[in-house]
Parts: sequence; C-alpha cells; structure tokens
Amino acid sequence: MFFNSLAFAVFLPIVFFLYWFVFNKTKSTQNALLIVASYYFYSCWDWRFLFLLVFSTFLDYYTGIQIEKGKSERSRKFWFWLSIIVNLGFLGIFKYYNFFAASFSELLNSIGIQASPILLNVILPVGISFYTFHGLSYVIDIYFKRIKAEYNFIDYSLFVSYFPLLVAGPIERATHLLPEIKVKREFDLEKAKEGIYQIIWGLVKKVVIADTCATYANAIFDNYTAMNSVSLILGAIYFAFQIYGDFSGYSDIALGVSKLFGLDLLRNFNYPYFSRDIAEFWRRWHISLSSWFRDYLYIPLGGSKGGLWMKIRNTFIIFVVSGFWHGANWTYLAWGFINAVYFLPLLLSNSNRNNMGEIQLKFNFDSAKVVLSIFYTFLLTCVAWVFFRARTITDAVLYLKRIFTSKDFSFQYLDNERYSYELLLMIGLFVLVEWNNRNKIEPLSGKKSMLKVALAILAILAFGTYSDYKEFIYFQF
Amino acid sequence: MKRFLIYAVKILIVTGLVAIALDGLYTAVFLRSKNRGKIETVFNSEPQQYDVIILGSSRANNHFVSKMFEDKGFKTFNYGMSGGHLFEASLMLKLMIERKYSIKNVVLEADLNLSNDNESEGVSAKFLPYIHNSEVIKDHFSSQENFNELYYIPFYRYIKYDSKIGFRETYKIVTHQTTNALDNLGFYPLKKHKNGNMKNNIVNLNPLPHNKYYEEIKNICKANNINFIAVMTPMCENVTGMNYFEKVKKAYPEIHNYENIVIENKYFSSCGHMTDEGAKMFTARILKDFFKK
Repeated sequence: MFFNSLAFAVFLPIVFFLYWFVFNKTKSTQNALLIVASYYFYSCWDWRFLFLLVFSTFLDYYTGIQIEKGKSERSRKFWFWLSIIVNLGFLGIFKYYNFFAASFSELLNSIGIQASPILLNVILPVGISFYTFHGLSYVIDIYFKRIKAEYNFIDYSLFVSYFPLLVAGPIERATHLLPEIKVKREFDLEKAKEGIYQIIWGLVKKVVIADTCATYANAIFDNYTAMNSVSLILGAIYFAFQIYGDFSGYSDIALGVSKLFGLDLLRNFNYPYFSRDIAEFWRRWHISLSSWFRDYLYIPLGGSKGGLWMKIRNTFIIFVVSGFWHGANWTYLAWGFINAVYFLPLLLSNSNRNNMGEIQLKFNFDSAKVVLSIFYTFLLTCVAWVFFRARTITDAVLYLKRIFTSKDFSFQYLDNERYSYELLLMIGLFVLVEWNNRNKIEPLSGKKSMLKVALAILAILAFGTYSDYKEFIYFQF
Repeated sequence: MKRFLIYAVKILIVTGLVAIALDGLYTAVFLRSKNRGKIETVFNSEPQQYDVIILGSSRANNHFVSKMFEDKGFKTFNYGMSGGHLFEASLMLKLMIERKYSIKNVVLEADLNLSNDNESEGVSAKFLPYIHNSEVIKDHFSSQENFNELYYIPFYRYIKYDSKIGFRETYKIVTHQTTNALDNLGFYPLKKHKNGNMKNNIVNLNPLPHNKYYEEIKNICKANNINFIAVMTPMCENVTGMNYFEKVKKAYPEIHNYENIVIENKYFSSCGHMTDEGAKMFTARILKDFFKK
C-alpha cells in the first residue's frame, strides 16, 4: 500500500475516523488501534514478514528490559550483544548475505580458486533497515542509560511499527517518539492542518517532480552510451531531483499523516539542495539517518576527536557504512566513499560547521559567493548521485567520462519520446517555490493557503506522472 | 474537530472542482484536435466517402500502401493503428459509421490479433477524451472493468493514461504540433533494420474461436452494406512451420491467408513487419486479388 495509492486514500480516513471518534477514550485504545492499522498496512506488502517485524519488536522489547534489570555488567552486556547480533544478523541475511557471498566467490575466482557461491533465494522485507535501526537505537540508549526501558509492550510496539514511518522512515528515536506515545493525544486543529499541507506538498514532490524526473533519468541512464554531454548532465540533474522528490516527498507525507494522529515525527529533509557545502548538505539530507550514524557510530568511534588519522578513519567509516546501508552494491559504497572525500577537507580545516545559519541573500559580492557555493555543492552531489544511480561503478565512471568526451551539446530526443530539455522549466519552478519558502516546513501554509493548496492539487492532477514509477525508491532499502 | 472536518471537506470540494475544470478544459482541447492521430481526426471530421478503409494493428498500418489503392482509383485511407487490437479496430469502424462515413470496402488485418479480445490500453486511451461526446465510444467501453471510474470520475481517464492523453498531449494539440500518423494516407512505411528482431515465437499462440470484436466488425459491415475483406498478412521466414495461420484458417475460413506471399527476411523490418518494399509487393497482390478494375 503506497502513500500515493487509492488504497491508502481509503485506509487513512478510516483509521483517522476510528482513531478520533471510536478509539479516542484513552492512550491505550489509541495506541492499540494504531498498531492494528500498522500491522495491516505492513501486511499489505507481504504478510509473512509481519512475523519478522513482531519478532524484532519482541526481541528489542525483552532485551531492553533485561538490560535495564541486569544486575551485573556481564548480564547487561549479554542481552545487549544478543540484541545487536540478532538485529544485525537479520539485516545481514536478508540484505547483505548474497552480496558478500557473490563478492567473496568473485575474489576467489580472480585468484584462480574456482568457487560458486551459495546464494539465498530471499526477498528483502520492506522497511527492514528502518525498523531494525529503530530497535538498535532503543537498545543502545538503554545500555548506555540514556533512557529507561519501556515496559508497556503495546507502546513499544507502536514505536517500532507506527505505519507512517514503518517502511521508509524517518528513523525515530525512543527519546523523541516514545514520550509522545505515552500520553493520550488530543486533537489539534493547527497541527492537523499542517499535516494536510505536508501530505499535499509531499504528493507534489512525489508524483509531479520525482516520477516525472524518473522517466527522463531512466531514459538517459539506461542508454547512457548513446547520450551526448547535455543529456548526460541533464540525466544527473533529473536523478538528483527524482531521488530528492521521492524520498523527501515520502517523508513529508509520513510526517503529515502522523500529525493527523497528533504525533510529531523527526524532520528528515531541510531543503538540502540549498546547502552551501557538503557538511551542510548532510545536516539537511536524510537527517534522521545522518544523525543516527553520528550518534551511534561516529561518536562512539571517537568522532572528530583524536588525531588526524582517527578523524580520517571515522569519516570514511561513517560515510561508507551509510552508503552500504542503502543497499548491497558496490555503487552505494562508492557513493558513500565519494561523500567522505567531499567532507574530509571541510573536517580537517575545521570548516564543516561554517554554514550553520539561515541563508540570506542581498545584491552584493558575498551573496554571489553564497549562490556559487550552492551551485558548486549541488554539482558535487550530482556527481555522487551518478554512482548511486548507475548499475555498476564502471557504468558510473563511463557515464561521467562521456560527459567530457561526447562534445555534442544539442538537445536529444530520448527513448521515452521526449526531448531531454523538457523538464527544466518545471524543475526551475519547483526550485523557485522551495527557495521562497526555505524557512518553512512546506510552502503551502501561511497567507492564501487555500489558493496555494488548490494550485498544488492542480499540479498533482495535471502534471503528475501516473502511468509508471509508483514505488518509492527508499522502499528497497 | 468539526472545523477540521469542514476544512477537509473544503479541500475535497476544491479537488473535485479542479478535476472538473481540468476535465472540461482537456476535453475541449481534444474536441479541436485534428492533425495528431487517426482517432482524433475521425472523431472531429465531417462525413467522408471512401472506397477502401484499412483496419488492424501495425501489421495493417505498415503493410497496406494506401497510395497504390489511390493510383488504381480507389479513395483509400489506412486506419491501422500500431499496438492496436481488434477492440480498437471495431471501435474505429463504429466511430466512422457514427460520423456518417460512406464506405464501400473494409480490409481488416486479422491474424495475430485474433488471439485476444482485450483492449490495447495505449491505443484505446485515445478514444477516452470523447467518452462523454460519443454514444458508440461510451457503449464500447461500458463492458470494461473500470468503466465507472473512467466515465464518472472527472479527469480520472486523463490521469490514468497521462502518457497518452495527459498534459503533454494536450499541450501539443494546443500548440498545433503534428505527428506523422496521417502522412501517406495513414500508411507508415518501414525501413530495413540491421538489428530488427527476426524471431517471433507464435507456436503457443491460438486464435480465439469466436473473437468478439472480429465478429462485431463483420456484423457492422454487413449491416451497412460494406464489402468485408479479412486478410492475414505476411510474416518472416522464422515463423514458417509454426501453424498459427492454419489454426486461424480453420477457425475463420473466410479470412484470406497471405502469410506466405512475402517471406524472405530481406523484405522485413522485423519478423511481423514488412519493409516498404515488402509492403508494396503485398499490396500489389491484394489489389490484384480484390480490386481489379
């Protein structure tokens, strides 16, 4: 059941009605309803994986309590590592086993040892990377005594399986979401209206921007050997907006839907393409994952403290692991590695926190520098996205090489029977709208909101792409 | 909560109004479309007189050279539609009758397309802008599963088939951009392709014993005193021995089998589609057999 499907358009009002009119007596009834709705939502993909979700929930719930109750450090450690190993074990089996087996076999073959890998015929459970990380952060926080264990199984289950964030995040923290779950929600008109604005804007991002860009990006990436310089540049830009519209659109819808139930989720995107350097980009892109890796990997490894080599090591580890989190493919590792290379000079020169404030532009030289730095950062991200999107690293390198060797700068007619330049106006308009509203969560609230909502609905209906590309990219992660 | 529900209803009303306005706008544009495709052109045309009308899929569109009919003095147009099934061929003929076309002969390419009586969504979508303006189109789609959504939900059809009748197509109509669908009196000549697919496995393909839309076309012709000629058109050497065409002949004895009139691969752009040269050889034979003057 996708957020942009008719099934969800029926599901959501039903759950909303039951939540506020039937099960609104206590927080327990509210939570129980949301769990049933969440499990139904998840089972719409594949009901068999519901058992995995329930098991993962139970495991972290139980080990969390055992860690807290543990009288000796040894016992606490035992339950802690049990949870970590089982959680990562599931992730490893479902997501990474085949990759490692195939890569190991290739390595053996390359040194003359014949080996054929034993591969598992399994499909990746939707959202496993997200709910596993929910559980991990919870157990780690209990182990390090940052939070108390949750003894109410219903409340904890909802924290893990809450349907707006279940399949593609944001990756929530127990410190943030559990306190909200622990109290009865009262209806808040303004919050619900904000939710509606975010849902509508999320749909604009998904069906108007992401899905339309996808048709062009796919036509270019899938035939890159026949594309000229202009098309290849446009292909990278289209993919940059496809993945941004897709993922941030999903996050907006998730946050908006959650607001309808009175629950605030962590903000996941903050106009990342207006970043002035890569460090700022990573503070604005997939914020819940970046901060997760910062808190649970980077800082425990020593962070930016310690010597030069420690800093370099930690930077590469966090970015490469972050890339690998996206999927078992060398292209994601390369994407993470490239971002580490971008980030490292900023870290080593202590300028990674230079651009923390809001962007203010005036007609002067400094503002021109800011605009140039935004374009430069966007250019860097586009290069990295080529690796993320390409089928193999070789394809990505050849794609980039061809930009400089094709030397043909005409607009091409693509396989999808469209000219390569056609989307530029739409993307330009989208960027303009986001730029003018960069200090808000979404552009629809404020003055004349109903008119803006009507225009957004017009855009969704008239300019949306519906024939293809219904899936959200991050569902595969 | 009451205020929120009122607000939500307002948004639903706005959505409905936007959908109705867009539906009206798009339909108005399609009602003025003339030079982009065969369906739009027929729908928006005045009564015509034809000696020969050609119907079918791309195997009609690429195989019947209309000009050769015209050279013999037969006013002809090739209404074969690439990707189309008999569902669309039948509707096209109904639309012509509704538009009071006077037709003496219908030549129908009936071979591979006899194996199903489904619609071809990519082609049938082009009829949908007119679903509220034509009884035959409405009736033709009324048996389809999603008829109620297509007919009653404003703008739904334009969303569902956005790649065919969505914003881009509407924009192209407004800006008077033309296509080559109407060039060469509807015939689309193909060239020899180096990498043309010359393999077409039709071993397991079976014609339906009573294809609903084939029978419909036959009956329309009969009811309107139109001479009906159904033919199977050639395929490449590789399908020789796969007895699909014999199965068609057995189920529909009145269909003329021209499968082997042209077989050499050099006359084919792909296995199911002849080149311009092959099409001319085939058309010459059809003219000789059915249109002697």
